[in-house]
Amino acid sequence: MALKALDIYKILPKKNCKECGDPTCLTFAMKLASGKADVDLCPHLDDSAKSLLGATTRPPIRLIKIGVGERSFAVGEEFVLYRHDKTFYHPPGILFKVLDTQSDEEIASVTKRVRDEIFTRIGTDLRFNGIAIENSSGSAEKFAQAVATVEENADLPLVLISKNFEAFNEALVQVGSYQPLIHAATMENFREMCAIVKKHNCPLVIKAYGLEEFIVLAKSCSEEGVKKLVMDLCPQSLGDYIMLSTAVRQLAITRAVPDLGYPVYFDAANSQLQDAAIALGIIKYASIIITPPLPVASAKAALTLRQNIYTDPQKPIQMNPGLYRVGAPGKDAPVLMTVNFSLTFFTLEGYLESSRIPCFLLIVDTEGLSVLTSVAAGKLNETLVHDSIKKFDVENEVSHKTLIIPGYSAPLSGRIEEVTGWKVMVGPRDAAEIGKYLQEEWKKQ
Amino acid sequence: MGYDLHFGWTGVIGPVTLGATKAEGGTRKMAYHIGGGTTLPFLDTTPPSSSPLVALEICDNPEYWSPIVRHFCGDLVTTADDWAKTAETVYGADLVRLYLTSTRERNFSDIVSIGKTVESVLQATALPLIIEGSNEPRIDSDVFQKCGEVAQGEKLLLGTAEASRYRSIAASAIAYNHSLIAQSPIDVNLAKQLNILLREIGVQRDHIIIDPYTGALGYGFEYSYSAMERIRFSALKGDADLGMPMISSAIDSLNIKEVREADPEQQDDMAVQWEYYTGIAAAVAGAEIISVRHPKTVGLLKNAFASFKKSADFSEVK
Amino acid sequence: MRTVTFLPGYRKIDVPRGSTILDAAQRAGISINVVCGGQGKCGKCIVYLQSGRAEFDQQKYLRFFSEDELNKGACLACETTVQGDLQVLIPESTLIQEQKILIEGRDTQIELHPSVRKYYVELEPPTLADPSPDLTRLLWGIQKWGGPVAEKVYVPLEVMREIPTLLRHSNWRVTGTIALVPGGYRLVDLQENDTSNRIFGAAIDLGSTTVVAYIWDLLRGKVVAVASNYNKQISCGEDILARVNFAKKNGLVKLQALAAESINTALTAASNSAGIDREDIYEVVVAGNTVMTHMLLGIDPAYIIAEPYVPVVQRALSVAAGRIGIAGNQNCGLFAFPAVSDFIGGDIIADIISCGMSEHDEISLLIDIGTNFEVVLGNKEWMFSCAGAAGPALEGGEVLFGMRANPGAIEKITIDPYTLDPTYSTINNIKPRGITGSGLIDLLAELISACVIDRTGRINTQIEHKRVRTGAHFPEFVVAFAAETDIGKDIVITENDIKNLIMSKASIHAACVTLMKQAGVTRHEINTIYFAGAFGNFLNKKNATIIGLIPEIGLDQIKNIGNGAITGANLALINRGVRKTLDDIAKKIAYIELNAEPSFMDEYTSSTFLPHTDLTLFPMVQQLLDECRLRKG
Repeated sequence: MALKALDIYKILPKKNCKECGDPTCLTFAMKLASGKADVDLCPHLDDSAKSLLGATTRPPIRLIKIGVGERSFAVGEEFVLYRHDKTFYHPPGILFKVLDTQSDEEIASVTKRVRDEIFTRIGTDLRFNGIAIENSSGSAEKFAQAVATVEENADLPLVLISKNFEAFNEALVQVGSYQPLIHAATMENFREMCAIVKKHNCPLVIKAYGLEEFIVLAKSCSEEGVKKLVMDLCPQSLGDYIMLSTAVRQLAITRAVPDLGYPVYFDAANSQLQDAAIALGIIKYASIIITPPLPVASAKAALTLRQNIYTDPQKPIQMNPGLYRVGAPGKDAPVLMTVNFSLTFFTLEGYLESSRIPCFLLIVDTEGLSVLTSVAAGKLNETLVHDSIKKFDVENEVSHKTLIIPGYSAPLSGRIEEVTGWKVMVGPRDAAEIGKYLQEEWKKQ
Repeated sequence: MGYDLHFGWTGVIGPVTLGATKAEGGTRKMAYHIGGGTTLPFLDTTPPSSSPLVALEICDNPEYWSPIVRHFCGDLVTTADDWAKTAETVYGADLVRLYLTSTRERNFSDIVSIGKTVESVLQATALPLIIEGSNEPRIDSDVFQKCGEVAQGEKLLLGTAEASRYRSIAASAIAYNHSLIAQSPIDVNLAKQLNILLREIGVQRDHIIIDPYTGALGYGFEYSYSAMERIRFSALKGDADLGMPMISSAIDSLNIKEVREADPEQQDDMAVQWEYYTGIAAAVAGAEIISVRHPKTVGLLKNAFASFKKSADFSEVK
Repeated sequence: MRTVTFLPGYRKIDVPRGSTILDAAQRAGISINVVCGGQGKCGKCIVYLQSGRAEFDQQKYLRFFSEDELNKGACLACETTVQGDLQVLIPESTLIQEQKILIEGRDTQIELHPSVRKYYVELEPPTLADPSPDLTRLLWGIQKWGGPVAEKVYVPLEVMREIPTLLRHSNWRVTGTIALVPGGYRLVDLQENDTSNRIFGAAIDLGSTTVVAYIWDLLRGKVVAVASNYNKQISCGEDILARVNFAKKNGLVKLQALAAESINTALTAASNSAGIDREDIYEVVVAGNTVMTHMLLGIDPAYIIAEPYVPVVQRALSVAAGRIGIAGNQNCGLFAFPAVSDFIGGDIIADIISCGMSEHDEISLLIDIGTNFEVVLGNKEWMFSCAGAAGPALEGGEVLFGMRANPGAIEKITIDPYTLDPTYSTINNIKPRGITGSGLIDLLAELISACVIDRTGRINTQIEHKRVRTGAHFPEFVVAFAAETDIGKDIVITENDIKNLIMSKASIHAACVTLMKQAGVTRHEINTIYFAGAFGNFLNKKNATIIGLIPEIGLDQIKNIGNGAITGANLALINRGVRKTLDDIAKKIAYIELNAEPSFMDEYTSSTFLPHTDLTLFPMVQQLLDECRLRKG
């Protein structure tokens, strides 16, 4: 657990010398506590104090980059077991698997799909991340051929899966400089595998059974000079995966076992229950997830779950402020104001749609805070409402001057009326009641 | 190397019993004893915690139900008892959750019919039941009273108590020894507040199931997920006011844009995957009852939960 | 009888021959430091004989004096007897320990040590043998009569021009006024003859609604008059935000003038009532919030109120009062308190020094409640602060029958838990017209204790009682039926009112907890909670704890400091040392932006419960409520 500002302050020199750029040691301590400053900025700390403070800010899980160019992605550098403790930072790459026993056409088609398919949600493009090519033929030549086919069709991050050193060597002649992830080194072959990846400085998956073996293997690879490691935990079942990945994450983030501080690789294609495995991988700490190409429903659900889980819980997804239409509202349609917290918006929009009363939704910028919180923190105030009405030209959209505000913002009603000159109606606290409210209260108008 | 998947926790998820067999004074073929977890879901090994239960949601007036389910189930939806029976025998649900949607009719007052519906569903299926009462505070008291009364001895799970209306349902639960669902809007503190309110009017902790409200995947699920994790986490740390099992029901899953706008031939798939992914994540976050509406989701979830408990079932054990 | 004249104040007293100088001083109302009680043992009561005849055995008390001191006529006041008319100089070191003042709102004494002082000097006229310049003569004289070292005194040109005439016209007897200014001393005024007993200063609380002025006699350390009036800026906008918007539209000049005028009005009223000349006010100390201070100084406040909320100036400022239109002596100085941030202004710094939290090792929590609230947590080493909107509920706004503390307002209520009948008292004991913030807090605490509302504040409408009703829009509880009121209507509190109150109290409690978490401090480590502002004066501490407005600590550890802004301004006026610490205090305080603090939302939600979702934080309240419930069955 990170240190509190005051704990850090006690370690600092308390000279208020300003050399760190902050006015006081206390404000510097606050920045350190929230990870917004670097310990090295303080010139008066000795090494032991620095390492004490530094240890709380250095990522416990190594950052590993897969691929090069636009579609490359980085995983690792996570800090917590629960996303509500801070956030999960680097969403797992989900890669579609092709086999070198498949036809060139099939391989090319999967590659093109990953290259082109985009699923847009709340203004964000969701995509799968790359292609895993498995050397199921056992032949180095066929493997090289499959890799070439993928390579010809897209510049995507790759995972190369084989047990054949020669297959790797031939494939890496083509794509070694593109930083593919190599699967996998074991206790038996790690020297050879390390030699292979070192030529191209590629990241390497290590495979072992039991955490003790991982520690030994990770150390051994590290000694061979390969530090960009990813761990395939080789679970025996989905239940086994939950236990292993939880144990690894726990030991890594508490820095109890630094040698487990590497991202986790999870091959969902090994499970009969592919969708369940993908969902588990997303929520339980996998950084690289391999799956056969997914049908559209699974694909959307998987990408949406990943987006949800890797949303910063402290920075809610925000809507763009503006005037939104529900149905085809006329000049006399009601105008409802609310905040730009996405969940508030979606919930309200849903209930409004089912109420079948066309209306305008005025979304004001509370930086994603909910109504309750933004009122409490003073973010939602009469000036914001006034400015939003002007900015989005609400006065010209409707022929009346009546604004319905959320129930939880009732304390602001008087001030909003005063500043905007609009009549304010206080709506329900619960969005579920909006339909009924509009039926009963608005229709009376 | 030592690692502790119990994280030094001292708390335990308190037990709740759903349903009663003949021997226990009811007519169900089994009673579920849920709860008992001492760590995060699926990490308990000795003894292993029980698999999450899968409930199928049905209703007594399909006018208010998703067209996807109406289409999939056909005529079944017009008779709640047939629907309940099919849920048990064909769809393989662990629980049937009956929504008394008929009470949503304007000026509904036929409390007697409510009693009959509950009775006939109790006869049609031998599974323990969850009954969702009225949506209208005006008739709450009568509806919950009637449901509680006709199912006396069956250890129902009654839904749904909220901070703004909990007295009627609590009165019925206390009077007829049923449990109830306590729903709060996606917040660990609000969940705890409601549990305290219920405790203070006499509802025992082992008669409460927490519903932290599940937003559909992509529509608030991220908040629900963390709310569930936090509730479980607080319970394990010893907060008895949060130490109850949870139920998750992403009821909006069948109405969201991705499902509504899917190609007609993919609509079922989309609905099922949406419920399936949500259900798995909810179970891993701590929900012990996953409640779904699409019959096809039931089997998928049950298979998945079974495999979460198995030690080895990967096709290729390397 | 012999006349003893005490310098530098030039206070005269007639005493019988043979009295000690100590007796004479005490009779003249001058407190001299006598640790030993006047037995010649402690050597603290050193004074200097300037002229006249007295008896003192220097040899006997040699150990107390340096040679230099003996040459200057040093003696012990308690052991020196008056033989003839005397002039005695009492050095500051002999006085300061003793002449302490108890200031309203603060329970410890403070030394009288203002930054402006008058020195009456009688100079030798120049001669051919001693032709030193007028200025040198004057400043040496002041130095000799206890003033600062001559070289350190800056003399402004306007004063310089008056020196030759004044000295000669007054026959070389003049009173110089020396002010401590940043970087040294300044001769701010020179007057003929002895005016040293006419030196006054003003402390001002510049609030956005009201302005309070205290006028002090800086020689005697006494308040001579108090006055207050509304801030005239109200004509440009009710609240701060409206005024800043007014300022943006070329209104800053007007707002500046109105601020100065508001202060002048208070000063005029106060000085008239005390019968003092405004010319004799040499210093004004102003404590105001950040925006008010900016406006008074004519500094653009526009950037304070919008992100990223940057004030133009944070440090304390000393300016000539005349330059911003404050009427006092023509060379009157004005000192403005420093600020921490947009919301933590000079008024809060003043609160901090008036409660003394920045002087102790123990941790204090300071809460200043108005429409906005400010919270400071800390001790002499560190301090965290934050601010937020409390909403108007606690001031009686947004509550159906809420009102300010005017006549007829219910300010105290109890409810019989069995009959549910309330007993209340109103301001001026007339029929009730509404309920004040403190009355509302009582009401909330009593309603939960009587189980009329649950912990979320919802009224249990299943209770069959004439006072518990469904109401037109919300369930409500009748506090007073129409017949007993002054307004001919039932005075009720609705469920909605209760919600608004709970939202207000939750913001404040959540802010406290956010600071406590930031500092890693639990409620057990908080030694004192200080309430500043008028709100605290009427507050029932127990009820404030029951509803969870503040963290639960011992009730005797909760203190009201009243108007901390004026108390702080008073302190800074009468003691220059206090003033020096202000900038340091301001710098020590780390400001936490609640908007940017992710845990605030959580703390807020858990505080929207009576008293709190985590009942272990309120063991006393929990026990109390359990007992209430048991009693009711």
